[in-house]
Amino acid sequence: MEGEFSDPEPGAVGEETKSENGENAPIYCVCRKPDINCFMIGCDNCNEWFHGDCIKITEKMAKAIREWYCLQCREKDPKLEIRYRHKKPCRERDGEHEAEPRDDASTPRKKAASDLLVEPMTIPKGFASPHKAPPPPAPGPVREVSNQQIKRSARMCGECEACRRTEDCGHCDFCRDMKKFGGPNKIRQKCRLRQCQLRARESYKYFPSSQKLLRGREEHFQLLKEPPEAVATPEALSDEDLPLDPELYQDFCTGAFDDHTLPWLSDPEDAPFLDPALRKRAVKVKHVKRREKKSEKKKEEKYKRHRQKQRHKDKWKHVERTDTKDPTALPQCLGPSCVQPAQPGSKYCSDDCGMKLAANRIYEILPQRIQQWQQSPCIAEEHGKKLLERIRREQQGARMRLQDMERRFHELEAIILRAKQQVVREDEESNEGDSEDTDLQIFCVSCGHPINPKVALRHMERCYAKYESQTSFGSMYPTRIEGATRLFCDVYNPQSKTYCKRLQVLCPEHSRDPKVPADEVCGCPLVRDVFELTGDFCRLPKRQCNRHYCWEKLRRAEVDLERVRVWYKLDELFEQERNVRMAMTNRAGLLALMLHQTIQHDPLTTDLRTNADH
Amino acid sequence: MATQYFKTVEHTSTNEKKSFKLKKPNYQLKFTLDGHTRAISAVKFNPKGNWLASSSDDKEIKIWEVYSGTYMKTLTDHNLGISDIAWSSDSELLVSASDDKTLKIWNVGAGKCTTTLTGHTDFVFCCNFSPQSDIIYSGSFDENVRIWNVKTGGCLRCLSTHSAPVTAVHTNQNGSLLVSGSYDGLCRIWDTVSCQYIKTFMSDNCPPVSFVKFSPNGENILTATMDNTLNLWDLKKEKCLKKYIGHKNEKYCIFADFSDTDPKLIVSGSEDNLVYVWNLETEEIVQKLQGHTDIAISTACNPKLKIIASAALEKDKTIKLWEK
Repeated sequence: MEGEFSDPEPGAVGEETKSENGENAPIYCVCRKPDINCFMIGCDNCNEWFHGDCIKITEKMAKAIREWYCLQCREKDPKLEIRYRHKKPCRERDGEHEAEPRDDASTPRKKAASDLLVEPMTIPKGFASPHKAPPPPAPGPVREVSNQQIKRSARMCGECEACRRTEDCGHCDFCRDMKKFGGPNKIRQKCRLRQCQLRARESYKYFPSSQKLLRGREEHFQLLKEPPEAVATPEALSDEDLPLDPELYQDFCTGAFDDHTLPWLSDPEDAPFLDPALRKRAVKVKHVKRREKKSEKKKEEKYKRHRQKQRHKDKWKHVERTDTKDPTALPQCLGPSCVQPAQPGSKYCSDDCGMKLAANRIYEILPQRIQQWQQSPCIAEEHGKKLLERIRREQQGARMRLQDMERRFHELEAIILRAKQQVVREDEESNEGDSEDTDLQIFCVSCGHPINPKVALRHMERCYAKYESQTSFGSMYPTRIEGATRLFCDVYNPQSKTYCKRLQVLCPEHSRDPKVPADEVCGCPLVRDVFELTGDFCRLPKRQCNRHYCWEKLRRAEVDLERVRVWYKLDELFEQERNVRMAMTNRAGLLALMLHQTIQHDPLTTDLRTNADH
Repeated sequence: MATQYFKTVEHTSTNEKKSFKLKKPNYQLKFTLDGHTRAISAVKFNPKGNWLASSSDDKEIKIWEVYSGTYMKTLTDHNLGISDIAWSSDSELLVSASDDKTLKIWNVGAGKCTTTLTGHTDFVFCCNFSPQSDIIYSGSFDENVRIWNVKTGGCLRCLSTHSAPVTAVHTNQNGSLLVSGSYDGLCRIWDTVSCQYIKTFMSDNCPPVSFVKFSPNGENILTATMDNTLNLWDLKKEKCLKKYIGHKNEKYCIFADFSDTDPKLIVSGSEDNLVYVWNLETEEIVQKLQGHTDIAISTACNPKLKIIASAALEKDKTIKLWEK
């Protein structure tokens, strides 16, 4: 840019002039005038402002310049070179910069005089790069729609990836707010992926993130999510287009930053079996991972449409704050000999560390606790042992009773058999039975019909069986008791899927009384005064005997019932024993030992009872 | 003269020594029971004196064996932290009052919850059995005192005459009277049969009452108020007989207990991490038990032996057993 000086005076920088106005106005440029009402360009070295007219640089040309140094600085220091923006349109313009500037409907870059007075030297807010435009920021992001020329503005540098994008992603919260994507247009911001990486507000962008954090977040994020579906849908975005940290964004979208659903607070026991899957994924190439995450994101976002935007922003800000401190503010992982920072919200950098620490803790503390436990007398243990003993004894008693029952059963069978065998021959003695008054009528309990008392027993038994056989009584489980062969009927009913739980010998539904042959004798042992056995047997033919109807069945049932009772009792005892055992083991179990500790302050006193009477 | 003086001094000193022995108990720290994971809210000895139950903010009740200080079992079923527990007179049942607005009755032998009593509409703060152990009384933040039937688990009555959370309920020896204390500064005495309140005790300027209890002989009532005072009232005369001060009680509902030793003592925790022991008659502090690292919220005296149990809050989480 040589030869553009009109005034060769060097002049001091911004020197105040006791000038014509009588005011102390700062002066600029080679012309040393305080005039600021025209386009000016600032030197990036000496920070002096120069009028475009004075050095023959138009506004248009200045747009193509990224770094500009005044002639003097360039002469003094040959290293300083004017740098231009390297874009096609700019190069074109570069070649033309000597020519007349085109008419442009560019953004009015007029600066107010007051602006310049106030802040001639300071970098205006929002500008991150060295200034090459006039100091005050241009209002609003009005863009020129010219082909292939990306306008710069206060919030757009025009050169970063985000600024180069032409299409909205359609998935971020800002896009979803847009009218064209069906949103209420309340937020009114550019697509997140199009927020300039240099100049946009921090809270509108993605974060520049550190590698470590990415991995850590990914891991935990993966912990929560199911393995992603097959990545069949190719994304519209290529890898290069993806912003710096979509992972965090995804976390945010899925509300991962709710206080109670922080992914890294998940149960450490869940982690191990997810870890192998995790590690496999971690090995994959990064961009593939990103693709997978994209599909996941799509899934999650469907559910998140109705979230309040405000909360989103707040959470975002909150995360921003913690992340910007990263990783220097995070405490160190508590894992043994681990120097990595802990995950936010956790005490460890990874589950491994947590496990290692827990294992170490157990190795150190447990032996000592076991010793303590064994040394001090535990009265509860003694109680437990006594209880167990008692239960044992009762169990034994119950089993003895069972055996008793067996014996009785056998006896009974023997009696029945003997009775049958004994009188194979026809017996002529027919007991007329009681010569009771046959006029008396009893009403049957089951059917309600009046019956003769002589046949009452027989009738009622039959009647009862008839009604009972129409009902079912069962449970879902077949009987599986060792040694109890024919206790319950256990016939399977396919309709109700139950096993009949009546006593087998008594079940009217599933066992019919066998036909009684004509010559069979009743055989019921006769008793005198109810209890004393006479040794005699009833000799009436079974068919006729009305007093001892069904006596074998009833006796067998008696025995069986007793057995059932004993089994119940055994069951109960077993349950009690189990409880006591469990309590005893839990008391001295790993968890209990690690958690509880009784410190004895006085080594002499191990049992307070001994010191009771002072 | 000098010798005379010397003699008298000697004499009195030996006298003092004797009385010193009589008056000052010497509780020593014997055991520290560790195992709760959050602040402990109450410790109670069972009437037999062999078990200690402790309830905590970690939703668990732990039973400890008193003589050896060993841990026995844990009762877990509540959804939120527990504020108070009480034993039945046969030492079989335990009732616990929790922040989940329910009370639970536990069978300690089996280690299981047998009944849950629902009905309160806010945190249940205090609970107690009647001497016959067929009725449970409970006080809650919803300003009501409820009476429950132990067998059925149903609520028999709901007494609402307090205008602030009810912090303590207790019955006397024969179960005829019930005392309830509340943050509104009132201590009401109820007749359990008719469920009418017959008396009200109030200190000057009504400081919130954090704890009330009948004395073992049923004639006096011990109240703890949040102006760092414990008062002993006479029931019949309705007068405050004794005042015990020196400890700190301004924020928490700290338990106090009678110790049936000779001389009779009053034991209470305090917000300055010490357990205070006063002589009941003379109102002087006879011992301050030191050892806790946080507010000693609950103390209990063993009915059979000369053992005091004390428990502390979040920073400490231990129970200490002191023995004479």
